[in-house]
Amino acid sequence: MLYIIKRLIMVIPIMIGVVIIVFTLTYFAPGDPVSVALGEGYTQEEYDAQAEFMGLDKTYIEQLASYLMHLITKLDLGKSYFSNIPIESELMSRFPVSAMLGLFGIVLTVLIGIPLGIFSAIKQYTVLDYGLTALALVMAAIPGFVLAILCIVLFGVRLRWLPIMGLETPRHWILPIATSAFPGIAAMMRMTRTTMLEVIRQDYITTARSKGLKENAIIVKHALKNCLIPLVTIIGGSMAMVLAGSIISENIFSIRGIGTYMYGGISSRDYPVVMAGVLVMAFVVCVVNLLVDILYAFVDPRIKTIYGIRKNKRKKPAVMPGAESEVV
Amino acid sequence: MNLLEIKGLTIQYAMRANTIHAVNNVDLTIAPGQTLGLVGETGAGKTTTARGILRLIQTPPGKIVSGEVFFEGRDLLKMSGAEMRAIRGKSISMIFQNPMSALNPILTIGEQIAEVIHLHEKCSKKEAAERSRNMLKMVGIRPERAGEYPHQFSGGMKQRVVIAIALACSPKLLIADEPTTALDVTIQAQVLDMMRALKNKLNTSMLLITHDLGVVAETCDAVAIMYAGEIVEYGSLERVFHNPKHPYTLGLFGSIPSLDKVVERLSPIRGLMPEPSALPKGCKFKERCDYSCDDCEKEEQVLREIELNHTVRCMRAEGGGF
Amino acid sequence: MLRHLVKEKKESNPRTPEDISVKKALWQDVLARFLKNKSGIVGFSIVVIMILLIIFAPVITRFDYDAQSFPDRLLYPSALHPFGTDNFGRDLFTRMLYGGRISFMIAFIATLISAAIGTVFGSVAGYFGGVIDMIISRFLDILMAIPSLLLAIAISAALGSGPINTALALSIGGIAISARIIRATVMAIKTNEYIEAAKATGSRNLRIIRKHILPNTFAPLLVNATMSIGGSIMGIAGLSFIGLGVKPPTPEWGSILNVGREFIRDFWPMTVFPALFIMLTIFGFNLFGDALRDALDPRLKD
Repeated sequence: MLYIIKRLIMVIPIMIGVVIIVFTLTYFAPGDPVSVALGEGYTQEEYDAQAEFMGLDKTYIEQLASYLMHLITKLDLGKSYFSNIPIESELMSRFPVSAMLGLFGIVLTVLIGIPLGIFSAIKQYTVLDYGLTALALVMAAIPGFVLAILCIVLFGVRLRWLPIMGLETPRHWILPIATSAFPGIAAMMRMTRTTMLEVIRQDYITTARSKGLKENAIIVKHALKNCLIPLVTIIGGSMAMVLAGSIISENIFSIRGIGTYMYGGISSRDYPVVMAGVLVMAFVVCVVNLLVDILYAFVDPRIKTIYGIRKNKRKKPAVMPGAESEVV
Repeated sequence: MNLLEIKGLTIQYAMRANTIHAVNNVDLTIAPGQTLGLVGETGAGKTTTARGILRLIQTPPGKIVSGEVFFEGRDLLKMSGAEMRAIRGKSISMIFQNPMSALNPILTIGEQIAEVIHLHEKCSKKEAAERSRNMLKMVGIRPERAGEYPHQFSGGMKQRVVIAIALACSPKLLIADEPTTALDVTIQAQVLDMMRALKNKLNTSMLLITHDLGVVAETCDAVAIMYAGEIVEYGSLERVFHNPKHPYTLGLFGSIPSLDKVVERLSPIRGLMPEPSALPKGCKFKERCDYSCDDCEKEEQVLREIELNHTVRCMRAEGGGF
Repeated sequence: MLRHLVKEKKESNPRTPEDISVKKALWQDVLARFLKNKSGIVGFSIVVIMILLIIFAPVITRFDYDAQSFPDRLLYPSALHPFGTDNFGRDLFTRMLYGGRISFMIAFIATLISAAIGTVFGSVAGYFGGVIDMIISRFLDILMAIPSLLLAIAISAALGSGPINTALALSIGGIAISARIIRATVMAIKTNEYIEAAKATGSRNLRIIRKHILPNTFAPLLVNATMSIGGSIMGIAGLSFIGLGVKPPTPEWGSILNVGREFIRDFWPMTVFPALFIMLTIFGFNLFGDALRDALDPRLKD
């Protein structure tokens, strides 16, 4: 419990840091948002009024403080330069679609990447391993958006097997999910293979063999869990990849999610929208990493004991009287 | 009948560029209840020999090229995988050099001991757990700690757990690969004493791998000295210790300090062991030997019996001609 | 005793002749290991061929990358135009070659910037530890919290497009990674005895960092840089694809791909060729980087 609280507290300064960085970036960005918002033809009075309305007449520190205050107290992310709909409600309405896409992407990454990587490792020095390793290398070289375009050309335009725009039917989801998961699968495969190879060379695997266990039992009971524990940590990284990729892939497949919203903000230099999008995504990555850390503490006994999340508490000194003279 | 009889065991590692001749034509026997010490410096092929007996060589790159390993009259190298697994952990078990890494970090020590009992003794999980607690008691760890994980134990305690796993099914042969090398000196004696006591209690034979001649003197009935993958001197403890004949054995005794003799300085063996990927022809020890002559590299040296229960791989040993 | 000290000092000085010969032998080992790795050679060849192609672009193709010819628009590949032409009748092969120039240049600059800044942050944090390490590490945590492509998008959205801004945008995300690598390496080296010896003989911190620590961080940094060039090329293409990064008419693979989308239904060369070039280049750098890592640190391999 202490561990979870500790990790939670660590997230807060990181998020504030992200807000400061992103805010500073947009503050010093070239271009005058006031004139952009007013369009053409305005008087100096109109300009000043608009600047005051947007809060841009204040100093950097004041603006940053008020942005942070609004964010923390009211979850208020400000307003778009062009529409009067608050950004947070726009984001909320788009969040489910993006979240679903991201979630399916991660699930696909894990379900395909980890088993293939493990398979590859335990079949080391076979044709299967060479084939899978080569496949992962090729997959890692294809950016999601390039793959999306190629898939559209092949499956959508040439073969006409799959729809390429929107998300009306389950069939519409196939390409967006597959193309966003693809690069992550390659990374996951490679990582799993390396980790598993490391694990099956450990002494405790030889110990398990010397006990007379079957090879399958050794893999399942002794190797698998030791391999999965470090892999848990890269799920956060995969999530980040999928999210960042979604800005491009949602746009390619004309999906009305956060990515498309941000894309619109980027092309029209609508900084509050871009800023809000970056913050939301960074926040999601932080939360995923937090969950991963907590999960980690539950599966790894080494961390479990440090933070007192354990099955049975030890009370007396564990050394039998007279049997042991050592302390540590 | 001997419990274990190794004949002509040869193990090689095929690397990309060359082949490593780790174990060359090794013969060893262990009688029931006997302890054989296998002595040699790092890289002499001791561990590979031990793993070869249980067929625990990583393949590839390692491979048992030839030889026979008779255990109770049956050749282990000809057994099926299932037959071999029935032997491992049950009739022959092994203690590894480094207790720090020999235990699975994510399973409790109780689970790790109970696993081998459950596997071989056809008993319920509950009974196996109960017996694993008894094993802990036997090696001097409070049974209540069965639910703890390896990282909660010190090195010496971990080695006790490893020993508990190895002895859980009362094996006929225990292979101990430098069981105390990784431990603090003070703990070494404790662990060795305990191993000796348990071995006698369970009437287990033992193959003790070590580079510590003192440990051999205290523990073993017979000694085999290994050098560059070969046995160079082999015999009963008294014969080898009182009448060492191979120049390498003599060198080993010359490089340990003694309390009874006044010597100006210890005499270490000069030079290094030859690369096991490029072994010289003839005597492998020739380069470092004070008594070498041209004949040493002409022919492969064989083990010659110089007295009862004492063989030496040196052409000059027979006549005692140093 | 005295002799012992002298010897240790000698060992801690990388300039002695025997040390240089040891270093030379080490690099020969690395080279030998690298040459044995077939996929590494393939990767290296791809990278070298790409670089040669873009350097000698004016010799290889006789078209101007900007020469528009309206009657020749959207031609399929032929002997004259091996990759066909784009929507303005410009030779696509030529635009691929010149597009590579921009991508490689930006990627190299971005990698250089992130390696340089990362080295400063990482070595200072790793060497001094304590409060300095904590501050720098927290800062890196913040940078790491933002997905690197997202950070690049945000920065180039703020700075605007153009090669320099794109290089800057891409480099910031890489700083955290290279700084962490350097920090870990420095912390590992710091505990070695020869650093203690250098301290004991009164070397100043900066000198110790420069002479004894940084040379040892070279190998991991080089591997990371190779990988990150591939990643940067992917990033540039991505940024240009969404209209940031490099803008038309400057040729760039990602932006050609983006324009090609408009014609996706009836004209494939404008999407397939840039996609192939992007993939092949990243593939090459990945293979090269993998092989380099295995050659520099043989412990990691099998």
